[in-house]
Amino acid sequence: MKVRLEKVPRATLVIAEGRLDFGAAPAFQKELEQAVAAAHASEAKAVIVDCAALDYVSSAGLRTFLQAARASQRAGVVFALSTLQPAVREVFELSGFSRMIPIHADRTAALAKISATKTPDGQ
Amino acid sequence: MQEIQDSTQQSQPGAELLSPPPAALRAFVTLTAPVKQLAELLLVRPGPWSRAFENLIVALIVVSIASIGVAAIPGLPEWALVALRIEEIGVVAFFSFEYLLRIVAARKKLAFIFSFAGIVDFLAIAPSLLTGFDTRWLRTLRLLRLLRLLKLQTHYLEATVTERTRELAAKNLALEQAQAQIQAELDVAHAVQVAILPARFPARTGCDGAARMISAASMCGDFYDFIELADGRVGLVIADVSGHGVPAAFFMAVARTSLRDVAAHHAEPGACLAQTNRALCAQNPMDLFVTVFYCVLDPRTGVLRYANGGHNPPYLLRADGTIEALDGQGGLVLGVMPEAEFPDHTVELHAGDRLVLYTDGLTEAFNAANEAYGVERLMAQLRASGELAAAPLIERICASVKEFSGSAGQSDDITLTVLGWDPR
Repeated sequence: MKVRLEKVPRATLVIAEGRLDFGAAPAFQKELEQAVAAAHASEAKAVIVDCAALDYVSSAGLRTFLQAARASQRAGVVFALSTLQPAVREVFELSGFSRMIPIHADRTAALAKISATKTPDGQ
Repeated sequence: MQEIQDSTQQSQPGAELLSPPPAALRAFVTLTAPVKQLAELLLVRPGPWSRAFENLIVALIVVSIASIGVAAIPGLPEWALVALRIEEIGVVAFFSFEYLLRIVAARKKLAFIFSFAGIVDFLAIAPSLLTGFDTRWLRTLRLLRLLRLLKLQTHYLEATVTERTRELAAKNLALEQAQAQIQAELDVAHAVQVAILPARFPARTGCDGAARMISAASMCGDFYDFIELADGRVGLVIADVSGHGVPAAFFMAVARTSLRDVAAHHAEPGACLAQTNRALCAQNPMDLFVTVFYCVLDPRTGVLRYANGGHNPPYLLRADGTIEALDGQGGLVLGVMPEAEFPDHTVELHAGDRLVLYTDGLTEAFNAANEAYGVERLMAQLRASGELAAAPLIERICASVKEFSGSAGQSDDITLTVLGWDPR
């Protein structure tokens, strides 16, 4: 699989592509850790994983999202996913992860949601 | 023009040396047994002799290169010129001796002669040999003696390569032994892991249960279980720990034991999962989790109660051929959130119904074209299965997955459990 980090004004984007299985999980986990650290160090304390090109997530792959969500929580960073393909969305629904990690229809919706939640704090 | 022709004629003996006929070579080899022993001692066998010879060669290379530099100084006194001549004769004699020894020592002689090191060795002595040590009109050819610099380099290169190769071979061997030991231990662990799972379904009137587990790695993250309950009911578990390997196997063992203990004390599957989940959350340093489907069948009535912790829904293959997914609302995977809840659901089995539980390693088995086996293929197998009993139905599905995957390697553990119920 391929992963790209990108900074936009309101978040650190992780653009994931391909199959996130047992073999790809360790490298992807490092990328997510980096993204959370980058978001923590920046003004915009948010990480959005864009899954538009993510074709498959195995249980080992789910675990990387769980760990990133936990690390984000500790670091005071918002962690959200966007643009899940139907098969991947089903994995998140089945495992119950969709109830733990916010999932948005697309990148714009995710960014809008982040701004909305942050405004009351005056950020 | 004339000079060049002369020089080629003069180099005839050298050309013969470069490509001797094989028969002559064999005679040369048999006649030189003592020389061969000497070559072995000085060049091949590691030890004080070969080390001393090596150092001597390097020293002579340095001396001869220095002397080439000195000889280039104009107006040297006569005694210095004589000393240089003597030194050159000595050096060339020694290098010639060494060159011949190397040919004798080489297992593939022609290969050595035409190798880079062989050609350098030859060119380092050839100019002086061919020109009789001082032929003014071949002075330029003598510049080739500077190739001794290359000789120095190839020398060190060869020594380094030999040394590194030896080190690598030793390290490789150590690694292979360590690897073999780890593999042997993992094999034992795998055998233990398989052995703790029940080999057969508890004998209950009307029940026909079977299971099969095919692990992708030495240690498996999947498990299934058949649990006999005191009230006569029987519990059936299928579960999949995130990832595989040793950590997943440990987590699997803890999850399986917890659930088994809890099952004896709670009538409802949902309560069992909730309790097991709390136990797992309390001891989960690696953020692992496990998807668990747990159902309890009353063999007297066919009533099946189930709860789902993030597992893919099993299928109920009705006796009339229709297929239902047991997709009543489930809870979160186990090991993540201690307060998670798991709703209970009920479904009634009829005579001849079969329940098919599996882990996603089955539907996500890939073929060489990177296509997944998928739910559709599984459904097709189930529809075509007629009235197959549990064990042959498992065989049939596994064979179909194997045929589909073909040459592609198995990437995830595959576990399959079938429970048929027919009280007649």
